[in-house]
Amino acid sequence: MFSKFRLNIIFIIFAIFLSLIFRELFILQIINTDENTQDIVNQNFETYYIPAPRGEIIDINGNKLAQSLLEPYLFLNLKKINEENKTVYKQFISFNFNELTNTEIDNFFNSNELFVEIVNLNDYQTDLRIKIQDYEAFEIFNQPKRLYIYKELFSHVIGYVGKPNQEELIEYSNAFGNKIVGKNGLERYYENILSGKPSEITLQNGEIIDITPAIPGQDIQITIDVNAQEVVKESLQQGIVLANKSFETVNLIERGAVVVQKIDTGEITAMVSLPDFDPNQFVSGISEFEFKKLNRTQAFNNFAIQGLYPPGSVFKVVAYWLAVNEGIFPEEASNSGQYVNCEGSLSFGFDDGSKQVYQDWKPEGHGKVNLSEALKQSCNVYFWDIALKIWRTFGNTDSEAMLQEYSKKLGFSSMSNIDLPFEREGVIPDRQLFEDWKISKPELVRPEGWLGGDLMNLIIGQGAITTTPIQVSNAYRTLMTGIKSNPYLYYENSDLNEENINISSEFVNFLLDDLNLVTNPGGTAYRSFQVMGDLTYDIGGKTGTAQNAGDLNNTSWFVGVDSISNPEYLIVTVVEEGGSGSAVAAPVSRRIIQYLLEESLTPVEFGEITE
Amino acid sequence: MINRRITILGPEGTNIYVIFQYLIFCVISWFTLFNITNEIGLDIQNVLVRQITFTLIGLIVFFLFTYVSISNIFGLSYVLMVSSTILLIGVLFTEESLGARRRYDLGVFDFQPSEFTKIAFVIFLASIISQKRNNLFAIALIFSNILLIYSQPDLGTTIILLSVVLGMYFISDVKMKTLFAFLITLFISFFILLEFDLVSAFQVQRITDFYSAEIQDFSQRQSRLQISLGGFLGDSASNTENISIFVPVQTTDFIFSSFAKSFGFIGCVALLFFWVFFGFRIYSLIITTDSQFEKFLLAGFMILLYLQILINIATVVGLIPLTGDPFPLLSLGGSSIIAVSSIFGIINRIFIENNQVI
Repeated sequence: MFSKFRLNIIFIIFAIFLSLIFRELFILQIINTDENTQDIVNQNFETYYIPAPRGEIIDINGNKLAQSLLEPYLFLNLKKINEENKTVYKQFISFNFNELTNTEIDNFFNSNELFVEIVNLNDYQTDLRIKIQDYEAFEIFNQPKRLYIYKELFSHVIGYVGKPNQEELIEYSNAFGNKIVGKNGLERYYENILSGKPSEITLQNGEIIDITPAIPGQDIQITIDVNAQEVVKESLQQGIVLANKSFETVNLIERGAVVVQKIDTGEITAMVSLPDFDPNQFVSGISEFEFKKLNRTQAFNNFAIQGLYPPGSVFKVVAYWLAVNEGIFPEEASNSGQYVNCEGSLSFGFDDGSKQVYQDWKPEGHGKVNLSEALKQSCNVYFWDIALKIWRTFGNTDSEAMLQEYSKKLGFSSMSNIDLPFEREGVIPDRQLFEDWKISKPELVRPEGWLGGDLMNLIIGQGAITTTPIQVSNAYRTLMTGIKSNPYLYYENSDLNEENINISSEFVNFLLDDLNLVTNPGGTAYRSFQVMGDLTYDIGGKTGTAQNAGDLNNTSWFVGVDSISNPEYLIVTVVEEGGSGSAVAAPVSRRIIQYLLEESLTPVEFGEITE
Repeated sequence: MINRRITILGPEGTNIYVIFQYLIFCVISWFTLFNITNEIGLDIQNVLVRQITFTLIGLIVFFLFTYVSISNIFGLSYVLMVSSTILLIGVLFTEESLGARRRYDLGVFDFQPSEFTKIAFVIFLASIISQKRNNLFAIALIFSNILLIYSQPDLGTTIILLSVVLGMYFISDVKMKTLFAFLITLFISFFILLEFDLVSAFQVQRITDFYSAEIQDFSQRQSRLQISLGGFLGDSASNTENISIFVPVQTTDFIFSSFAKSFGFIGCVALLFFWVFFGFRIYSLIITTDSQFEKFLLAGFMILLYLQILINIATVVGLIPLTGDPFPLLSLGGSSIIAVSSIFGIINRIFIENNQVI
């Protein structure tokens, strides 16, 4: 039975215990408070950080593209180095690690860090570690080393890491302890996901009193397919070699980009920009000479998202869409099916009395063309007629910028917001822009400002317009799906900013059928696709040849679609100064389409010169 | 049995005191955690968000228990004890973390079965002591649970459970001879364990270090310094920002150290006053209630809660070696809060059942 007496005894025991605690609290908080505060000030804790392993980057099939390997590094605890033992350590280091120069060794001892990293012990025999144990100022910490397994292949998509600068130290809180930060590509864009929390080593008077383990960064799986990427790079390289062989150009042709995008989701299956570089060079520090060499060829630019090129005829789909949507056709035609006669040039007059003659790229003309034929043969005259119609009907009214509005709806002149840093947005010129440029860049515009001729230039993708390959790819995707959204590389990226554009399935079929004409007999890209035989009946595309100022060769464009009946991929190829789109970019795309359709690959061969 | 109508605070007869006391402890914990992190965020990793979420779950558990009559709890004592045993066996097969197997990883939070064991233990002991049914099966259950917790290893909880067994038998009319025999057996078995290396060297060293050298554990020295910083009124506003101090697990086992720093001596007195006052209320309930089961149940919970508090503070101020027990309702931790909420819920129910209802 319950005993009240014994319960009281327990109460008394607790009370005694409690009073002891109060006594202790009283001593600590009231009697010793000043003294202890002083003790805390004198504690001299110092913290040294060891970087956390970064998350791995994995391709869509689970292949590792970038990983962080933990390797043992030898560190010297400088707090334990004094005048007496300094020579002993110096001798030990110079004796065992021959490749270190004397100045390097001196620099170790002059560092004002708590620890200095001496060497990676994996490069030395294991019995050295036993010797090291006798020296108390040596510590071995495991430190991650970033490894880019495919070297150059992903230099632009993945980017690279490097020492953080002042702004990066402020922006990324873990950058200081990790000693590296993503500088470009996905490494930069997903720095906060990939970087972990560094390990913290707490020291008091040189002795390690606590080690908080690092928290590794998170892995990310991206939509790129290694095999596709490899084929794309090979194909583009072949195209560049071909262009150099075929054209006499002022500059060496060495730059180009390819984007392979999935049409239904917008994800990027392959993205290559040339020239490229090995990002592993940055891990152990790149020499100034190497850096300058790479910089001179603009190898650090990802031309797929940063290259600004006039799109040439690949831009004609915008006018094509506008024509169908608004019912605006050349003067003599009232619908898309009606033919007009293309004589190879267009002469026309403006309200101000001026008269001009525009020459098509094909001097003898395309003959009878309707909208489909104009796209198929890339007939400039037909599209100029549309521009004239817009100019004459809406010139100097609010609707005059109709073509620009349509371009912007497809994402031109704004960033595609792909998950990569430093994307550029390009330009869609209009009256307002020309007015602005009169002040800021007077060398680029005539004093008269925006004229009908500028609109005619714009409609065939020439003049002041600039676009990036990713913009072109995403615009074609929007036209084929009616959905504009951000292209992406990271599988779990949820913020796609989807926006519905009113595009009928009828239009999509019409467009696909006409793109199909381009790769078939009579189309500009037929010669490049001929090797695929009957398969061309189900393939489509659009060639583009954009003129550049001065002596520069034309920019070669091709937008390909892998299947008309079941479109899955868009392939956008650009070769800077690569000449005609149908000659160079089209066969590059053709080889990529061969891969995507699981056909045997044939080399990139010269197509024909068109626009 | 009387059917009680349901009111906003619980069943008819509810006294506002227990819920009020419970909420005060929770809010103190929120303020302390806020002072530690000094940040308000909405993500689940933020300690304050976690703690408030745990408290809300705890509050639901608290109310659930106020609707369970004590006779039901009495009937469930064996079921609870057996399920506790199963959970403790299961936890031995989980993945080791920080050298121990103590928790089930449930994604957002970890479930520590030893917290559940503490409650089941008190209910079970109260039931067998009040019925005087000290059969072999019951004794085996009790000791298997203690051994299972010891093997996690979790010395702190083992000591608390042993003290609860001792304490609860002590207040029954068991002969002192029997208790002494029990104590001596414990001592002998401890030395046997030591002889066969079944006590981890680390734990022994911690104890011997503590009593041989005058230097306490490093983290205890740091927590003593941190408590000093609080002074009489607390330092929430004083100029001690750049001071580097090194108290581990500030949000859990050492939270009292942060509390004492933030709220000073006066805060410590206030917090302990609340607990002492609560203790007296329970004491008077033990005396007045007629049910033997309720008497032992309340006394058991009281020993459990106050022992944890006293051991926790004694550790933090450096009076005894490190054990690693949470401070009830103050430390961050889902399992602990939910366990203590259930205890408060049961205590509230006993208050309700002892209120006269017409």
